[in-house]
Amino acid sequence: MKKIISVFTFIILFQFLQAQISSIIPSSEAIAQTSVADSRNWSAFNNPASLGYIENAEIGIGFENRYLLTELSTKSIQLGISSELLNTGLSFSHFGYSLYHEMMLGIGFSRNFSDKFSMGMQFNYYTAFFTASNSYHGALLPQIGLSIKLSPTFNLGFQSFNPFQTNVKTEFTVKRIPAIFSLGTEYFFSPEMVWRTQIDKEVSSSYRFACGFEYQMLQFTNIKLGAYGSDYLIPCLGCGFKTGGFLINLNCELHPLLGLNSNATIKYRFRK
Amino acid sequence: MKRLFAYLVLCLLCSYPVRAQDAVSTTEQLIADIFEQYTAESEDDIDYDSFYEDLMFCAQNPINLNQATREQLEKLPFLSDNQVENILAYVYQSGSMQTIFELQLVEGIDMTDIRRMLPFVSVGDGMQNDKKIYWSDLWKYGKNELYFRLDRGIESKEGYHSLTDDELDASESNTGKYIGNELYNSLRYRFHYKDRVQFGLTAEKDAGEQFWGKAHKGYDFYSFHVQLNGFAKFKTVVAGDFRANFGQGLVLHPEFSMGKSSYVLNVTPRNSGLKKFSSTDESNFFRGGGATIRLGKFDISAFYSNKMIDGDTVNGTFSSSIKTGYHRTLSELSKMHTVNQQIAGGNVTYTNMNLQLGVTAVHTELDNALVPNKSVYNYFYFSGKRQTTAGIFYRYRLHKLNLFGETATTDNGSIATLNGCFFSPLSYISLVMLHRHYSRDYDTFYASSFSETSRINNESGLYLGVEIRPFRKWKFAAYADSYRFPWPKYGIDLPSIGKDYLVQADFAPKRDIAMYWRFKFEEKQTNLSDVGNVMPVVIPLQKTSLRYQLSYSYGNFSFKNVLEANLSRRAGEKMTYGVIALQDVSYAFKNIPLKVNLRYQFFDAVNYENRLYSYENDVLYAFSIPMYFGLGNRYYLNLQYDMNKKLSLWFKIAQTVYADDRETLSSGNETISGNRKTDMRLLLKYEF
Repeated sequence: MKKIISVFTFIILFQFLQAQISSIIPSSEAIAQTSVADSRNWSAFNNPASLGYIENAEIGIGFENRYLLTELSTKSIQLGISSELLNTGLSFSHFGYSLYHEMMLGIGFSRNFSDKFSMGMQFNYYTAFFTASNSYHGALLPQIGLSIKLSPTFNLGFQSFNPFQTNVKTEFTVKRIPAIFSLGTEYFFSPEMVWRTQIDKEVSSSYRFACGFEYQMLQFTNIKLGAYGSDYLIPCLGCGFKTGGFLINLNCELHPLLGLNSNATIKYRFRK
Repeated sequence: MKRLFAYLVLCLLCSYPVRAQDAVSTTEQLIADIFEQYTAESEDDIDYDSFYEDLMFCAQNPINLNQATREQLEKLPFLSDNQVENILAYVYQSGSMQTIFELQLVEGIDMTDIRRMLPFVSVGDGMQNDKKIYWSDLWKYGKNELYFRLDRGIESKEGYHSLTDDELDASESNTGKYIGNELYNSLRYRFHYKDRVQFGLTAEKDAGEQFWGKAHKGYDFYSFHVQLNGFAKFKTVVAGDFRANFGQGLVLHPEFSMGKSSYVLNVTPRNSGLKKFSSTDESNFFRGGGATIRLGKFDISAFYSNKMIDGDTVNGTFSSSIKTGYHRTLSELSKMHTVNQQIAGGNVTYTNMNLQLGVTAVHTELDNALVPNKSVYNYFYFSGKRQTTAGIFYRYRLHKLNLFGETATTDNGSIATLNGCFFSPLSYISLVMLHRHYSRDYDTFYASSFSETSRINNESGLYLGVEIRPFRKWKFAAYADSYRFPWPKYGIDLPSIGKDYLVQADFAPKRDIAMYWRFKFEEKQTNLSDVGNVMPVVIPLQKTSLRYQLSYSYGNFSFKNVLEANLSRRAGEKMTYGVIALQDVSYAFKNIPLKVNLRYQFFDAVNYENRLYSYENDVLYAFSIPMYFGLGNRYYLNLQYDMNKKLSLWFKIAQTVYADDRETLSSGNETISGNRKTDMRLLLKYEF
């Protein structure tokens, strides 16, 4: 019982401090969650336009743990399929535990236009388990994205998650699903060194400003450094490994009040 | 030598014309973009119809640069007075242009200007305007256009619990309710034969106005116009509804006039003379007839107007004329066309190569006396049944100096004067200086000129503007304006002062990428909101804004990103902020005549002082710059489909969703319950 109370207390505190980005959207591979202009990686439920840049099919899984509590974990799986006309992506994520959990399933389509820009659209079905009614309630919500390569070294990204501000309504309550507007940039100092910035605004929360650097140290490994600020300034550190078709990413964030948030993804890129 | 250089430049540019055309997706879009630049800093409702029609007319009947007069070039509002003078001087000194890109040799004109001018100008031997017109030509070559527009809001509004005809008679309690349905509808017919003969008819019904019932039958507003150009000695003849714009606008300029904008050099209205009125604006026009005769270097104009205006008449007087054009309730209908206004006026303008000099006089007569409800701020407003206003204006070119100005007076002896000069010391630097003084008791009906507010009275100020093109892809523009109101204004209970500065940097690194940064700072005074003050107290209100806009096109796609933020601070209070961000995507299909435009926009401006404006694409003839304050987002879809060569369709659906927990939107009859507002527009155009 003590554990349940403490978990609930923590969740309430967590929801208050992290109101901006919903836990159902898994953190991206990009450091400090600067994925909106990321032209190299597609992350589930992040900018669907990035899906347009994938050249081969890929499959990935992700696990994100917040503040060393298993109850606050997000699990995700993604599959991207590349074709000449449209790239298609399937994503699924799960947050929570038996008494409270949210799930989201998405199917996205994206196209890269002559490597000048990419546009994407994703349809997500969000569902959550409500203990009060002992049932699941859900809603369909779109996600749109755009990524523009203004020059060979500079990209601009935009995405909107839940642009129509759809909510889940039950008999007893209304659960707000975050409506997020994101704008970001990506600049390549060299092919090895990339700098990303991003602004997110969840319509009812504070702004989030993020900045991150990634440096390809060796052919098979890179290191990542970044920070984002909303109500607190949160430093982020990460690294990535590449071997064969596998890509492994490990990112950590240190919240000054809540503690460590860690995120790991493994992705396999098929060869043609 | 200059000519040789011109041909070298042309050879270099030989591939450019085709590519330059790509940058401008459509003439309509270009016109909207120009208008947006003008109005981005304006909070007034500006008549887009006339602006659009005039430029579209230029696109259909391009101005021949080799034969153009100053007056014709002044129809292109994005050209500064200096640029107009320089084009005329170039043609005068170097002879006819062989190609439009020879404009690059004209001082103060670069590729950006040329791209803007492309749809509206031509070079050639020119059209002979005095050629005789035959009925058969009118019939054969005349162009007819018919427009049908329908608007409707999706959510039901408080005022639309429609009344039956029986209820209309019932009681006074119903006088506040809308008597018509939610549909807005307008119908326009236009005919033109080159730029010689134009006529048209406009009918409009606003949402809430009754189309057919006991209270009203038919459209709420009808307008008819005829304009003939170049008939014998007559330069222009207008009949029906028309406008008269003379000088710098201190006496007469009912049309949208230049003011402070990012076109920092375009500060005064153009002397466009008599011209047809074809808009749906229900107040700023004349109804009657007029003509301009050209006698050598003299243009002599005379006109007469007799029309009914709206006013709250009581015992032969009214306190203000109502210019909204809304007649949706019994109360509004009771104020419709209650005052007769007669206006007679004339103008004589002398023009030669370096000098333009003119005199304008206008007399207004009302059948009911205008007696404003006296308050401190309107103490000096016009009161009475008749008014006479006269003014003299000039424009003189002296080497690189271009002097201009106007001084006007009314029959109460009050004076308004505006004087300034353009100066271009180097080909890439242009400067403008303008001083205005409008006395507090100068108050006329149709004046519109450079001013901080929409009224031409009670204001003195000095404006300085500069435009520099130091490098090929960059343009910098800046202005500073300092002004004072020597008598209280509406909302400011004491004499007050203000200032504003703007700096804009435009950068076009490639043909298909353009961006700008705009910084603006303004400080004006406002009433202290504390109600306990015995004496009025005014405090400074500061507002700083920064805007970044990026436009990018690739193939049939074009994109636009805008990010704007402002900070506002009232003395003694906390600073507040406003933010707006948007993403636009447009696509023109290759195989089907369909154009799609999508926008997603987010805004966050909790306080009214931080309100933000953002231009929106719309159906043809509609132009909106909605104001945003609160928290939420807005998105829209715009479609344009050419069904065949004659029939085109525009459709727009837009929705605003507020996220600040408000349960109702708007107020009074416009109240919508909920946090969403959705609008639809449909326009059909038929050409034959």
